[in-house]
Amino acid sequence: MNMSDNISMDFNRRDFLRGGSFATLATLLGGVELVAQAPKDKDATTYATGPAFTMKCAVIGLGSWGRDVLATLSRLKEAEIVAICDTYPASLKRSAASAPKARQVANYKEILDDKEIQAVIIATPSHLHKEIVLAALQAGKHVYCEAPLAATIDDAKAIARAAIANPKVYFQPGLQNRSEPQRHFLLPFMRSNAVGTYLMARAQWHKKTSWRAASPNPDREKELNWRLNRETSPGLIGEVNIHHLDGAAWYLRGLPAAVSGFGGILHWNDGRDVPDTVQAVLEFPRGVNLMVHSTLGNSFDADYEMYYGTDAAVMVREGKAWMFKEVDSPLLGWEVYARKDMFYKETGISLVANATKLVAITEKAGEKSLAETPLRYALEAFLTNSNEVATGVEDFLATFANSDTNAVRKHVATLKLQPAATVKEGFEATVVALKANEAVLKGSKIKLEKELFSLA
Amino acid sequence: MKTKIVWSKIARISAAMAASVGVLYAADSMTRFDAQPGSKMKIEGTSTLHDWTVEGGIIGGFFEADPGFTKDPAIVSKVTPKVEVEIPVRTLKSHAKPMDNVMYEAMKQKEHPKIKFTLKEMKLKGQPAGGNGPFLFDTKGELTVSGVTRTNVMIVAVQKIADGQLKFAGTNTMKMTDFGIKPPAPAFGAIKTGDEVKVSFEWMTAVGAAKAQ
Repeated sequence: MNMSDNISMDFNRRDFLRGGSFATLATLLGGVELVAQAPKDKDATTYATGPAFTMKCAVIGLGSWGRDVLATLSRLKEAEIVAICDTYPASLKRSAASAPKARQVANYKEILDDKEIQAVIIATPSHLHKEIVLAALQAGKHVYCEAPLAATIDDAKAIARAAIANPKVYFQPGLQNRSEPQRHFLLPFMRSNAVGTYLMARAQWHKKTSWRAASPNPDREKELNWRLNRETSPGLIGEVNIHHLDGAAWYLRGLPAAVSGFGGILHWNDGRDVPDTVQAVLEFPRGVNLMVHSTLGNSFDADYEMYYGTDAAVMVREGKAWMFKEVDSPLLGWEVYARKDMFYKETGISLVANATKLVAITEKAGEKSLAETPLRYALEAFLTNSNEVATGVEDFLATFANSDTNAVRKHVATLKLQPAATVKEGFEATVVALKANEAVLKGSKIKLEKELFSLA
Repeated sequence: MKTKIVWSKIARISAAMAASVGVLYAADSMTRFDAQPGSKMKIEGTSTLHDWTVEGGIIGGFFEADPGFTKDPAIVSKVTPKVEVEIPVRTLKSHAKPMDNVMYEAMKQKEHPKIKFTLKEMKLKGQPAGGNGPFLFDTKGELTVSGVTRTNVMIVAVQKIADGQLKFAGTNTMKMTDFGIKPPAPAFGAIKTGDEVKVSFEWMTAVGAAKAQ
C-alpha cells in the first residue's frame, strides 16, 4: 500500500466515522461551513498547572436533562460536585455514576444549608424553579437556572428581580447557546451586511419521540411527565424552541412585538393536553418574522435555524454554520478561500474563524466544534464567572468594608466575565417563550407589549 | 475661626472613621484619606509573541497627611505623610484567563495575595502652573511584590478632585526579576516574556471614605 492509498483511506475513514451526522451529508453535498475554531487562548491551559480554582457545587433536579448537566459538569476540572438532589430516589441512584463522591439528598434545603456549597445548578421542572432559586440566592449561592426560568411570567419576574437584587452572587440562565464560541463567531456575520437586508428567519426541532417518561405509579407519573400537562408545562415552544427565540432576538437585535401560534395533538393522543406539533410566527423588528416549528411526530431534518437576507441565507446547525450566497450578491473576498459544502444543489460557504487564512480550509478547522456541546461551554462560563464574582466581591469588600449593595453592583459590572446569558436575556426569552406557548394553546395572535419585558 | 472649623471637621471625620473602622482612631493631628472604588492599575509588558496589558480596579489603603496638606502641599517636607497601599493580586486581569493564571502562578499569588506599598519619603517637586493641576512629588517607598520588598522611587502626581478627595497618579518601570519573579515562558517556553514592565496607576481617595459611594 503506497502513501497515496494511505491518505485516501484516512480521508474515507474519517468521513465514515462522521457518517450519520449531518456534517457528512453537508460535506458530500458541498455546503460552506461557518465554524469557529477552538479559541487560541484555550491552548494556554496546557501549561497552567491544574485548575486555577475549584467551585463546590450541587445539582438540584436529576431528570434526563439534569443528568446531562451532571455528566457534563463532572468532566469539568473546576467543578467539585459536593451534593446532588432529587426527590425521587431512583434518579439519585441513576446519577451516582457521574458523581460518586457527592452526597445524595432528597430535600434541596439541605444543600442550601451547607455553607461549603458555593454554586447550585437548578434543573428541576420549570414550574418548580422559583422557590428553589429564590432560596438559593437568599442563601448566597451562585445559581445556574435552566431555561425557561419558570412556567409563568410572574415567577420568572420574581427570579430575575431577586437575581438583580443580589449582586454578590452570580446568576446565569440556562440559555447555553449564549456561551457557545461558534455563535459568538457568527455574530459579526449576522449583524453586518454580509447577508444583506434580513427578510425572515425559520427554526425547527423535529424529533420522533413521545416526550413521555415511563413511571412506576400514578403519583410519579404526574411528577415525571410535567411537560405533558398544561398546568405545569411551557410546551414545546417554552421548553425547546426558547433557544431559537433567544437566538433570533440576539442576531436580529430586538424582541418580537407579537406572536401567533398554532398547534395540536396530532400523533401522541395518549391523554396529554400539551400539543405534540406546534408552529409559531414571531414578529421581530423591521418586519422580519421568525417561523418556529416543533413536532414529536416526525424527525426529518432534525434541529436547525435559518436566517434569510437579500444577499445570502445562513444555516446554523450542529454547532456549525453555512452561508448560501445569492448570485447577485457582492463578493466579500474571504469566501474564495473558505471551505465549501454542497447541500443538494446549493453551495454553502463555511463560516470558519480566520476564514481569510489558509488555515480555515484545513479539515481540522471544523472538527473541534463537534466535540464540545453548548452546555459544556455554558457550565464552564458559569463556574468561571461564579468564581470571578465571588473573588471580585470578596476583594472589594475586604478593601472597602462598608460598601453598600449599589457599590458592590457597580464593581461587579466592571468584572470581565465569560460570555453567558444575562438575567435580562433569560427573563426576556422566558417571556417570549411563555407567550408563544399561550398563543399556540389559544391558536391566536398575542401582542407583546414592552411592559411585559419590564423588570422595574 | 478657621481653625475651629477645621477642628470640628476633623472631629466629625474621626468620629465617622472610628464608627466605620470600629476602632478608636487617633486622628488628632493628621487627615486621613481612605481608598475609594474607581481606581485603576495597569501593567504593560512585552513578549516574543505580542505586547500585553494587565489591568486592575481595586487599590486599597490610605493616605494620611497634615491637615494643611491640601492648602500647602509643601508641608510634606515637615510632616511626612503616612501612606499604605494594598492591591489584591488576583484583581489584576489580562484579556485571557489562562494568561492570568500563568501570572498568578509566577507572582506566587497564593502565598502572597497582595502587592503592598509603604511610603518612606515624599518631597514636593513642582507646583502646577495654575488652576487645579496636579502637584508633583518625588516619592520613595517600600514596594512588596511576591513577598519581596524593594525600594521604589517614583514621581507621583496628586490632584484635588473635590473637597476631601484626592487622586494620586504615577508611572514607573520595574523588572520582574527584582522581585524574584521569573518572567513567564508559557507554551513550553515558546513564548518569552520581557523582564521589564511599565506600571501605572490612578488611586482615588477621600476623607472618611471607608464607605464606598
